[in-house]
Amino acid sequence: MIRHFPTALVFAAFTWGSVAGAQTTQTTQTAAPSPAPQATATPAPVSDEDPDDSVLNRSQPDFTLINLPTGLRLPQWKSAFRVTHRFTRPLGEGDFGNLAADFFGLDSGAVIGLEFRMGIVPGGQVGFYRTNDRTIQLSGQYDLKQQSDSFPLGLAAYFSIDGTNNFKDSYSPAVGLIVTREFKEHGALYFEPIWVNNTNQLPSELVDDNSTLLIGLGGRIRIRPTVYVVGEIVPRVDGFDPGSTAASFALEKRVGGHAFQLVFSNTFGLTMAQIARGGVENLDGSDNWYLGFNISRKFF
Amino acid sequence: MSRSTFFRSLRWGLFIATAALAMGGCDEKLSDLTGPTPNLKPTLSSIQSEILSPRCAGCHTGNGRFLPGAMNLTEGHSYASLVGVASIEKPALQRVNPGDPENSYIVHKVEGRAGITGARMPFNGTPLTDGQILVIKRWIELGAPNN
Repeated sequence: MIRHFPTALVFAAFTWGSVAGAQTTQTTQTAAPSPAPQATATPAPVSDEDPDDSVLNRSQPDFTLINLPTGLRLPQWKSAFRVTHRFTRPLGEGDFGNLAADFFGLDSGAVIGLEFRMGIVPGGQVGFYRTNDRTIQLSGQYDLKQQSDSFPLGLAAYFSIDGTNNFKDSYSPAVGLIVTREFKEHGALYFEPIWVNNTNQLPSELVDDNSTLLIGLGGRIRIRPTVYVVGEIVPRVDGFDPGSTAASFALEKRVGGHAFQLVFSNTFGLTMAQIARGGVENLDGSDNWYLGFNISRKFF
Repeated sequence: MSRSTFFRSLRWGLFIATAALAMGGCDEKLSDLTGPTPNLKPTLSSIQSEILSPRCAGCHTGNGRFLPGAMNLTEGHSYASLVGVASIEKPALQRVNPGDPENSYIVHKVEGRAGITGARMPFNGTPLTDGQILVIKRWIELGAPNN
């Protein structure tokens, strides 16, 4: 655990001023009798005409589920930051005493990712995500249609490309659609067909499939005012599909502009191409599950 | 949704789709993998010219009743010597079992697997690279055609 302490320290220092600001803002908002934009959490938008993207959306409070993107809009020229952490010790290895001795995996190494995203146009955002295996993912997302009284689903176009070795070697572009169904303030469900090219890292002459069509399925359920249960599963329906079907679930706590997720996952996949390559599978076909966490911070 | 909003959404959707399609050709280069034989492809003619002729045919000449001469890997004869032919050293295995590289004795020999009879091939030479072996395996996996 100690080896990950510097990461947490840097993140804490990086966000401290903003946290204080957010807390102040929230306190002020709570005390204010007038319905200031951020003071009132709204249910699913009823109109797609220039929505105020800075208003907290309790049904989908963050830009990602666990690994998959959500349809949440990022206000123009505002940004968000995220740290992802997956400890590499399988939770099923050894008995409970061994697991406790390793502090449930926190003593092990980890796959770590840092993400920064920014809204560049109304409804459009771009992201930069780097994982510690030197993969960099650039992503873009554009809101095509918002859920409303007349249309029961939110639609967003998604695009990403990741490149290994600091974006110098193997490139894997992805394009897809994020379909969102919000349920007032109770949560949201997601259906995300995404095609990822060059998922197989061998040349196409040597493989049957070099791309993957995956269906991201997920949901976020609000069980307490600021607590959510989050889950996602990513079956591959066509193309290259090694390993097991990637799946993750998490318990999420939101505090102001922060969200903390305690993650249980069978994959180290963080970028879209990594997710498409599936979960970690043992020789006997069984899964390994791992502990992890995500911390995200909105700067607005 | 207003008309302008619709067209703005359409424009961005098309932009993203176009960007994805433009980059849809991403792939690793086979030549990066095959090292000393950058032109190697998973076809018999390519394997012949890049590997069998320069690395194998010097000994596997087709002359004599015993190995290595008994196996003819010279150009024009390799297919008949390899595909569907039981190996002399391990008769239970075919030299090349079409579609099944794991049960093709030539793969065992060039990988130097435990259980082979005699030495790893190429004999007394630099072993084939992993990439070269992958290409041979792919050719077998594709049915070992005489192409």
